[in-house]
Amino acid sequence: MIDGLEALVKPSTLMFLLRGAGMTLLLTAIGCSVGLLAGFVLAYVRTGSGWVFAPLRWAATLFVEVFRRIPFLVTLFLVLYAAQMVVPRASLFWVAVTAICLMSSAYMAEIMRAGLQSVPRAQLDAAIVLNFSRWQLTRMVVLPQAWKVILPSAIAYIVMFVKDTALASQAGVFELMFAGKALANRGIDPFVVFGAVLLAYFAISWPLARFGRYLEVRLSRPVTGGK
Amino acid sequence: MTYSLQFGQIMRDIPYILGGAWPTLWLTFVIFFAAAALGLFIALVRLRGGPVTSRLAGLWVTLTTNSPLFVILFFLFNGLPNCGILLSPIAATLIAFIAISSGYLAEIQRGGIQSVRQSELDAAETLGMSRWQTVRHVIARHVIKTVSPALSNFFIFTMLGTSMASLVGVNELTGRAIEVTSRTFRSIEVFSIVAIAYVVLSLAASMALALVGRMLFRVRMRVV
Repeated sequence: MIDGLEALVKPSTLMFLLRGAGMTLLLTAIGCSVGLLAGFVLAYVRTGSGWVFAPLRWAATLFVEVFRRIPFLVTLFLVLYAAQMVVPRASLFWVAVTAICLMSSAYMAEIMRAGLQSVPRAQLDAAIVLNFSRWQLTRMVVLPQAWKVILPSAIAYIVMFVKDTALASQAGVFELMFAGKALANRGIDPFVVFGAVLLAYFAISWPLARFGRYLEVRLSRPVTGGK
Repeated sequence: MTYSLQFGQIMRDIPYILGGAWPTLWLTFVIFFAAAALGLFIALVRLRGGPVTSRLAGLWVTLTTNSPLFVILFFLFNGLPNCGILLSPIAATLIAFIAISSGYLAEIQRGGIQSVRQSELDAAETLGMSRWQTVRHVIARHVIKTVSPALSNFFIFTMLGTSMASLVGVNELTGRAIEVTSRTFRSIEVFSIVAIAYVVLSLAASMALALVGRMLFRVRMRVV
């Protein structure tokens, strides 16, 4: 174990792990941005009304329900094999990004929906009476209030999501966990390596979780007038 | 485009793959209930324990909810043998999942316990309820009502999570899919069947949980 520690605390090895952590952050950032945008579109479509959009609504519901009920690992393998079928030399990084985006969009859509539906009905009725269009209603009445509900849960989800990206290593994508596996394969004590990887994930996840908790407390405070 | 879908080749393997639903289900049940019990204990220690023990319970929650399950699983399965501890795949899975889930479930149940208001406890006392009656009629009702949507969500989460056990060699749904894929190379067919199996299983579980909640505790839950 002491040998393992010595082998680990070398600039080159630590840089290797650090680059892995960078990739983990990149995967998370892409997944979250796409998830937030696509999740909003899905939730917007899903909470809409009118029979013209019914097929769209069903499609959005189906997408959300299906991808929330398939394990990320299975989604990842499916995307991987499907990509290999369509593009012979598909980049593993983009395979992982696609799988991550599919999952995060589905989960974010549910969070967004809960946010959009948190606005009191009376306000929506008032806006409709004032002849707001659906988009105006969402932009000027719903979103300014809904984001306070959405943001804490979205961050709580992102905290869980960072940890799921570790599975991308299983598809051969270079990120933190993959770096750990590579070092273990190179003969460094797996106990030390995976211990270090665990610490690194903790170092990413914990501040984010703390920030989420802080926002939750901060945003649930009632708004008071004046400064 | 040289790949064409051929379900015929894996017809004989389909019962075997779907049979993986049993390990998935019993793993989910064992993990969920063990972790819920442990989580309840941790939540109670956190709320009622002394200054040191409640700190420790808080630390446990922080550590478990911020560590990736997959890495813990790998650590237990590949890291510990170097220290002379050799765990079977099932043992490693159960330890990793129960430990991590206990943190999340402790937080969920803590929220539930805190949702009981002091005034209601006072009312129960005024009515002359015994401690047990208070727990049964006042506290439990409240806790279950606030906690059940989150618990049923977490149950589904656990079920989907058990797919990771395949990576240390547990032969559940995903594990069998990987095995059959390596034998037949019909990857997309096998994994789409497994994906459908997960959707069906988790939908059934959601409905069953919603039904239990409604019949036993009169809690209304949304399935879809």
